[in-house]
Amino acid sequence: MPANPLAKTDRSAMALFLAATAFFFVGGLMTTVVPALTEDAWSKPVAGLRPLTEQEQRGRDIYKREGCWYCHTQQVRTLEADVKRFGWRGVDAPISTPGEYVNDSPHLLGTRRIGPDLSRVGGKYDRSWHLTHFRNPRDLVPGSIMPPFPWLTDRDGGKEFEDLLAYIQTLGRATDWRPQKDYEK
Amino acid sequence: MSTATDVPAGTKLVDQPSAKWFLISSVVFFAITTFVGLLLSLKFIWPEFMGSAPWLTFGRVRPLHVNGVLFGWLLAADIGLLFYVVPRICGNRLWSEKLGIATVVLFDLIILSAVYTTLSGTTQGLEYAELPFALDVGVTLAWVMFGVNIFMTIATRKHEKLYVSLWYTMGAIVWTAFVYISGNFATLFQKGIGQANLNWFYVHNAVGLIFTPLGLALAYYFIPLASNRPLFSHKLSMIGFWSIAFIYVWTGAHHMLHGPISQWLQTVAILFSVMLIIPVWTVITNFYGTVSGHWDRVKASPILKYLMAGTTFYLLTCFQGPMHSLRTVNAIVSKTDWIPGHAHMAVLGAFSFFAIGGTLWSLPRITGRPIHSDALANRSFWLMLWGGLIYFVSLWVGGFMQGLQWNDTSIPWVDTVMSMKPYYVARALGGALIFAGVVAFLYNVFRSLGRPEQEGAPAATSTSPAAG
Ligand code: HEC
Repeated sequence: MPANPLAKTDRSAMALFLAATAFFFVGGLMTTVVPALTEDAWSKPVAGLRPLTEQEQRGRDIYKREGCWYCHTQQVRTLEADVKRFGWRGVDAPISTPGEYVNDSPHLLGTRRIGPDLSRVGGKYDRSWHLTHFRNPRDLVPGSIMPPFPWLTDRDGGKEFEDLLAYIQTLGRATDWRPQKDYEK
Repeated sequence: MSTATDVPAGTKLVDQPSAKWFLISSVVFFAITTFVGLLLSLKFIWPEFMGSAPWLTFGRVRPLHVNGVLFGWLLAADIGLLFYVVPRICGNRLWSEKLGIATVVLFDLIILSAVYTTLSGTTQGLEYAELPFALDVGVTLAWVMFGVNIFMTIATRKHEKLYVSLWYTMGAIVWTAFVYISGNFATLFQKGIGQANLNWFYVHNAVGLIFTPLGLALAYYFIPLASNRPLFSHKLSMIGFWSIAFIYVWTGAHHMLHGPISQWLQTVAILFSVMLIIPVWTVITNFYGTVSGHWDRVKASPILKYLMAGTTFYLLTCFQGPMHSLRTVNAIVSKTDWIPGHAHMAVLGAFSFFAIGGTLWSLPRITGRPIHSDALANRSFWLMLWGGLIYFVSLWVGGFMQGLQWNDTSIPWVDTVMSMKPYYVARALGGALIFAGVVAFLYNVFRSLGRPEQEGAPAATSTSPAAG
């Protein structure tokens, strides 16, 4: 079957190796490197974005360490259901844009929603709500399956809780999406 | 093409300590990490289960289960089996047993360290790439050691023709290297959406270009041998291989459909996801075609049961994948429990079943000790099959319902959580059956290792479905 250009790979390991690598690189470059170079939106911050403070960064590290991102996404998708569900007090949540994430590493967009999306949760609840919720979610939300995090709220006078709270309250704030500015502290 | 031939089970040809130790190590981790998964499933029913020690919280135990099953069990089992299979096809011996042993020692050190790092919360915070930098370097090194060993074995082969299992093996070695580097090192130089895109490129291809080709390499070898039938079609296997090589790598962005990522990337990912039907169809036709007309052999052999059930789950997984990358379906099932249902069918139902079938076939030929009990092997198969089915189906149905509820924004979130309870109970039950099956498998393997070696004169040093 000499017409088949890949027939050589039947006998030559080197030919197979080269062809397999080439195939991989075509798709790999097109879908990872090319967009990284051409999509300006991926690196252009939204107007309201500011770098995290040291405390907020510590809070983000706790969020990463405790695996909150296995249960919570941080992205409002282009779906009616997301926009309505993750808004609060009658205001729709703005759809997430690449510019909100330019400082994020690791990104925490998430793939699974055991709990709700958190990208617009900054300012939704006040400090005492979160304190009770992290200590035991079921005290506030019966039927919740979020784990309790007493070591965050009670160890070292709750220092880690304060850090985490500071971070949580930044989520979504770059878009400053509340017309009444009714953010809780 | 000649019919497959093989020396009888229990005839030891040469010492193959690398293959043996990789298999033993993988089976032990299989049992441990499946148990961890079972514990996790109970947390969905009793969120306070296992108390509230930081290192036993969901967010730390989950990566232990996922990484443990993927790397500690499945990757290690695939490596061990290829250490057995590749020399057989090539008609020679593994290039270096010493290097192989060094690889298994390094690999186990990495896995043990990973148990510590995940439970202590040391993580890179990226899916499948949780392990810290130092361990990533270790994994890369282990992979290079494995790759060199296999490539040198192939380079010094006695049979010129490269049987299809070797293509998949070589493809997997090359692709894995690049995929792993993109997911664990290249991501460090990116932020935001660019990093997320790379991350999902890695996550998707970890399954598509690591576990798929490794699993298919094994299935292409073991199915013809275990059914004592020639491979149905060489041409189909060729189409299948090259279409996987070309198509898979484009599909990563389907993990971000409707998300904050460019529309054209989403569309490309969807188009290529749908095209995945082509390689799957060729592979399935080939495997079913091979045993076609001889299903009585499947009935008689636990090994073939694992291999053919794996084939069926592979078909279902790869039918599901393209389906839920369609925008409309995705809007319902994405981010729901449907997804773990899908992932478990791929990793447990398809690729783990291939590896278990392969282990039951190879171990007696590696150690010279027959499998302790065929009846027990059958029982472990049925436990895993039923457990798996209960697991997958409960999460598909539950996940689909969950997705519909999410789309009705008048239902409060926590109500959608509570309505999952019956499905979570069913899932835990399925998980318990799977775990029981894994324990039966582990017990069978260890009893086999304890049997006396059988005398037997090796007739040939090579067995290949394509030899002749
Ligand atoms: C096992 C999954 C799981 C993990 C892990 C988890 N959560 Fe949750 N979370 C939930 C569920 C379920 C809910 C919804 C019920 C409730 O409010 O408790 C929730 C609710 C929330 C809410 C309220 C959201 C709203 O809009 O009402 C916040 C804030 C939150 N989680 C933050 C966190 C943080 C921070 C972490 C990590 C320290 C975390 N969660 C870890 C499952 C989880």
